Amino acid sequence: MSETIDLGLRIVDRQVIDSEDRRCGKVDDLALEGGPGEALEVVAILSGPDVWRTRAGLVGRVSAWLGGGGRVRVPWDEVADVDVHVKLRKRAHELGLGRGDDRLRPFIEKIPDADR
Amino acid sequence: MKIFQVALGILAAIGGFVDIGDLVFNVSAGATFGYQLLWVVVIGVVGIIVYSEMCGRVAAVSGKAVFDAVRERMGFKVGLMTLVAAQVVNLMTLTAEVGGVAICLQLLSGLPYRWLIVLAGIAIAVVVWVTSFEWIERIFGYGGLCLLVFAVAAVKLHPVWGAVGHGFVPHVETESPLLYAYFAVGLLGAAMTPYEVYFYSSGGVEEQWGPKDLGLNKANAMIGYGLGGFLSFALMIVGGSLFLDKGIEPEFLGSIAIGAEVPLGQIGLLLAIVGILFAVGGAAIDTLFSGAYNLAQFLGWEWGRYRAQTGAPRFTVTWIVLLVLAVGAVMTGVDPVQLTEYAVIFSAVALPLTYIPILLVANDRSYMREYANGRLANTLGLIYLAVIGVISLAAVPLLILTNVGQN
Repeated sequence: MSETIDLGLRIVDRQVIDSEDRRCGKVDDLALEGGPGEALEVVAILSGPDVWRTRAGLVGRVSAWLGGGGRVRVPWDEVADVDVHVKLRKRAHELGLGRGDDRLRPFIEKIPDADR
Repeated sequence: MKIFQVALGILAAIGGFVDIGDLVFNVSAGATFGYQLLWVVVIGVVGIIVYSEMCGRVAAVSGKAVFDAVRERMGFKVGLMTLVAAQVVNLMTLTAEVGGVAICLQLLSGLPYRWLIVLAGIAIAVVVWVTSFEWIERIFGYGGLCLLVFAVAAVKLHPVWGAVGHGFVPHVETESPLLYAYFAVGLLGAAMTPYEVYFYSSGGVEEQWGPKDLGLNKANAMIGYGLGGFLSFALMIVGGSLFLDKGIEPEFLGSIAIGAEVPLGQIGLLLAIVGILFAVGGAAIDTLFSGAYNLAQFLGWEWGRYRAQTGAPRFTVTWIVLLVLAVGAVMTGVDPVQLTEYAVIFSAVALPLTYIPILLVANDRSYMREYANGRLANTLGLIYLAVIGVISLAAVPLLILTNVGQN
């Protein structure tokens, strides 16, 4: 990682992958902390349709509604690396990510030949 | 062995180049303007080479497919609008291709069209479900090679070769310049179909291309698409030799196939229909996956055909839903050929939205490193940015002014 990175260009909207390289969401926004006069610190990644509400006005609110809401907060300490993807230290389900796939999987598994 | 495999891949790419948009626009352009618009096809083919080579390189070096790049570069809001535009065009194209499959099945079997629409949908789903990606590419690519019958037909129809040659020289010599421009936009839109690029770049990521595959990427783009372009020439020459000044508008896929029957008889007709069947069938699968790739990449879902269906459930559900929507849309009785015209024109409108982010990423040295666009790629990239911008702006006005090419 280089010493400084442009958060908007290099982290927000990046693909998030878990410790097993499974794709499990995008960095929809970042949570920053810091009082007046202090340096801001990135404390968490925010992911999920609810995050779009604050990012994209009416379009965001409509898509958050369509996407069924939901927001996951992944503490920055769980980020292992930032390169072309944002890689996490744990598996997706341990952090509450990738739930949509987990919910649909039982239905797909019922179709013959689904696991080849 | 390696060369043999590359050659097989290229053969499949040639067979897979033509879809319903190319069939409709090339033959209609021939029927309306003879060979005059051949030069536009050359511009279109070079355009798809430039665009897909860039996308393949971005996929190989950064591991990002088109809608990863769109999301990163355009942000959520503009990216979402791009996604919606791309998905609408994609679904229109998918519907047209599925309709095309049903028409070919009807021409071959004579069974009722409505049953065959359902059969086409089921057949596509089963093929996708049980066949590996590699085999899908081969089956439909090689089957599409039957379209080479149009190249034989083009020669057998004894066109005036001087006139054909003149067609490759850019010129405007017509009393209906608007119609000429409409066909030019349609031919460019049909050659630079964005779904091919979504599919190609996603395939590159799935096959885990790296910088070592950049040569393969270049060969695929240049030779596969380049030779595929020859099929487009053949279709236009057949259209020009057979239909021009005869008042025949190839409004049905069946009349396109007649282009091979006239010089070559029954066997020509059969090869043409089988070729069209595989070409539009393959394109249906490509568009189907492209729609699922785009959505999954934009939202960060797991995606990919190389994983089992259970590995990427939302991706799998997405393509199933898209297929059901397309089959339902064909069942309403919409004419696939007419729908193709709209799909190609609207795809030209939306083209800059996905082209620009790829051009930006291909120039970003922070992750493209030494593989970022060089001077040649950027010169071509910028020239095509201008071309794409012009056709994007001109497409809808021309559609209206020419009454969808009816004039």
